[in-house]
Amino acid sequence: MNKKTMLSLTMIMAMSLTATVGCSNKEAAPTDGTSTPKVTEFKVSLRHINVRDTSKPQQDILLEAVKAAETALPGVKYELDGVEDTVNRDTKLKAEMAAGNPPIIFDLFGGPDTQNYQKAGHLLDLTPILADLGLSDKFIDLGEFTVDGKVYGLPRSGYTEGVFYNKTMFADAGVSVPKTWDEFLAVCEVLKGKNIVPIASGTGGPDGWVVNMIANSLFVREAGKEVQEGFVNGTSKWNDPKVIESFKKLETLKTKGYLDKSALALKYAEGQAKFYQGGAAMTMDGSWAVSAFEDKEKSKIAGNVGFFNFPEVGGPGDGYINGGFSNGYGFSSHANENELKGIKEFIKQYYTEALQKKALLTANDFPSMKLQDSSGTTGVLNEVISVTNEAKGIFTAFDSVVQPKVKVTLETTMQELIGGKVTPEKAAEKMQKIQDEANAGK
Amino acid sequence: MNKVLRNPWAYGLFVIPALIMYIAIYILPLLSSLQHSFTNWNGINEATFNGLDNFKKAFTDEKFWIAFKNNIIFVLFSAFVQVPIIIFISMVISGVRKNLNFYKTTVFLPSILSTAVVGVLWQFIYHPDVGLINQLLRAIGLESWTHAWLGEESTAFLSILITNSWQWFGFYIVLLLAAIFSVPKELLEAAEMDGAVGLKRSWFITIPIIRPVILVIMLLAITGAMNSLDIVLIMTYGEPFGSSEVMGTYLYKQAYKFNDFGYASAISIIIFAFTVLVTVIFQWIAKRTEEVEH
Repeated sequence: MNKKTMLSLTMIMAMSLTATVGCSNKEAAPTDGTSTPKVTEFKVSLRHINVRDTSKPQQDILLEAVKAAETALPGVKYELDGVEDTVNRDTKLKAEMAAGNPPIIFDLFGGPDTQNYQKAGHLLDLTPILADLGLSDKFIDLGEFTVDGKVYGLPRSGYTEGVFYNKTMFADAGVSVPKTWDEFLAVCEVLKGKNIVPIASGTGGPDGWVVNMIANSLFVREAGKEVQEGFVNGTSKWNDPKVIESFKKLETLKTKGYLDKSALALKYAEGQAKFYQGGAAMTMDGSWAVSAFEDKEKSKIAGNVGFFNFPEVGGPGDGYINGGFSNGYGFSSHANENELKGIKEFIKQYYTEALQKKALLTANDFPSMKLQDSSGTTGVLNEVISVTNEAKGIFTAFDSVVQPKVKVTLETTMQELIGGKVTPEKAAEKMQKIQDEANAGK
Repeated sequence: MNKVLRNPWAYGLFVIPALIMYIAIYILPLLSSLQHSFTNWNGINEATFNGLDNFKKAFTDEKFWIAFKNNIIFVLFSAFVQVPIIIFISMVISGVRKNLNFYKTTVFLPSILSTAVVGVLWQFIYHPDVGLINQLLRAIGLESWTHAWLGEESTAFLSILITNSWQWFGFYIVLLLAAIFSVPKELLEAAEMDGAVGLKRSWFITIPIIRPVILVIMLLAITGAMNSLDIVLIMTYGEPFGSSEVMGTYLYKQAYKFNDFGYASAISIIIFAFTVLVTVIFQWIAKRTEEVEH
């Protein structure tokens, strides 16, 4: 062959190679002429958020369920894809939903996320599947994943939020668990006097939601549970005096030096680390953090941490505890027949009493399903469970009630509040302005 | 080779793959962004045309102007602080006799790290409690000079600029070293015989000759400053209070936190237009000041 032909041939081969690289997998050829039935191999994409070191127990449980499903349903192969939680929720899954091609199974938050994706037609209605598998009554609360009476997601676990504290530091400082806001401030003052950072919080950068845990409990305490729905339906306003009072209380924590002065320089994980490395006496966090605090290898306070409900302020929302069942798995409505089988099998194998109990014991996760037997928990999780049971009731987190725009604005506004950039009154005005826009559908 | 290129089919075969990629990855998204910048779009439902509303919003948006200002600071820092330091270090390294390769490699190493790694690495260095900087300051008794480098408005953006410079110094230095070593030896010897040594030689002989490469480096640094996103997003996310926001991160937030893809597209068009403007001004200034012929 001459040079010219060689060159052309090489070009064509190189280009066709590049073209075929991006092609998707073909189905396996069926075996022919034998008595074994044709096994179609198919993949089911599964997006999870168990990428942090602290999520290893949840990942083990997921893998166990996936393995059981692959055994029970021949031909299925679940392709797991792990992405960090805020990245999945705010960026990746959103983009996939916008393009109309989410994974078949994916980590999903209830509330506005579920409502928006359902409105765009991407969520699979699970009501018939639940009925088929006999799971319709087995969940404690499906409210956040229900739209117009149909269920579009299944919570993996529940959570409550409150104040975790370092028992040794409290004992050494001679303080006990505070019940009221004034007692809480007094405890902080004593700790500060002993050069201990009273409250750790990693709420810088994208983690404005962390300080919102405190803000949320404060404004519900001051103005009552109904204030949250009230923002959306107009019966309550962010610039109501009670809400402004809650912002003032949050500001006090900063001005008196009770909230870590590095709060805005640290991200969530760093704030947690400060607490469980013994750098601070308290932190406001959710029950999902119990694994990190009780991790014997990483945490200096394992076995030595306690939990109490956010203190009372003398308002209508006292005694309630922030909690909910708002994170779990959703499923794509664009699944084909085989993928639907994969979905159903996954639900059957993952949402079982055995795995829920395992999550409770190994990952310290609050079960989302009703357990016949929840004995065997140790450590601070016991306190979390008993505090939750003693609470007057549960109120759901504000961000599953208000529109996403409002949630995001509270994050930046509360960061500005504790940074001294805005007054409580100004912050309230700002929030109400955005709430009005969101309510008007802008 | 010439025969091949004269044949239109062969010519096309070589050019088309790259052209397809260029159009698909650059031109089409640019046109799509341009189209969406005139709409109101939440990324999921239909986009509705809203004329110049997004651009008007940008011009009255105080946070956008802070981001814009930060981009300008970034550009000025790159052109007038980063580049002179690069020139200086290159000159110093070019004078080294032994172990030149060792210095070149060491200085180049940060550039091979991904921006995410660099961001996380320097977050630890800037950490208010256990970070290297604060620990060093405390060790030498300068506790009062410690800061929450990434958490305070006054220091956050500067910290990012320093990290960004650290990452890219090596890359530009290696480029400049190649240029310095290609200066003809006869010229340098002739200059030496005429009495120009050390600083004089560098300033009057070497720098004018490597001027084209310096201009390239400046242009790369400036365009990098205009479309920076990753380093800011990782280190501070634009906080505290938007003080370290750049236009790139602002548009990212508008798109993914506020679901306002129309506004985000408008911002991206503004970044594009402004970068083109800065580049054109830069080329004009470069042409006006004379080039050395040799």
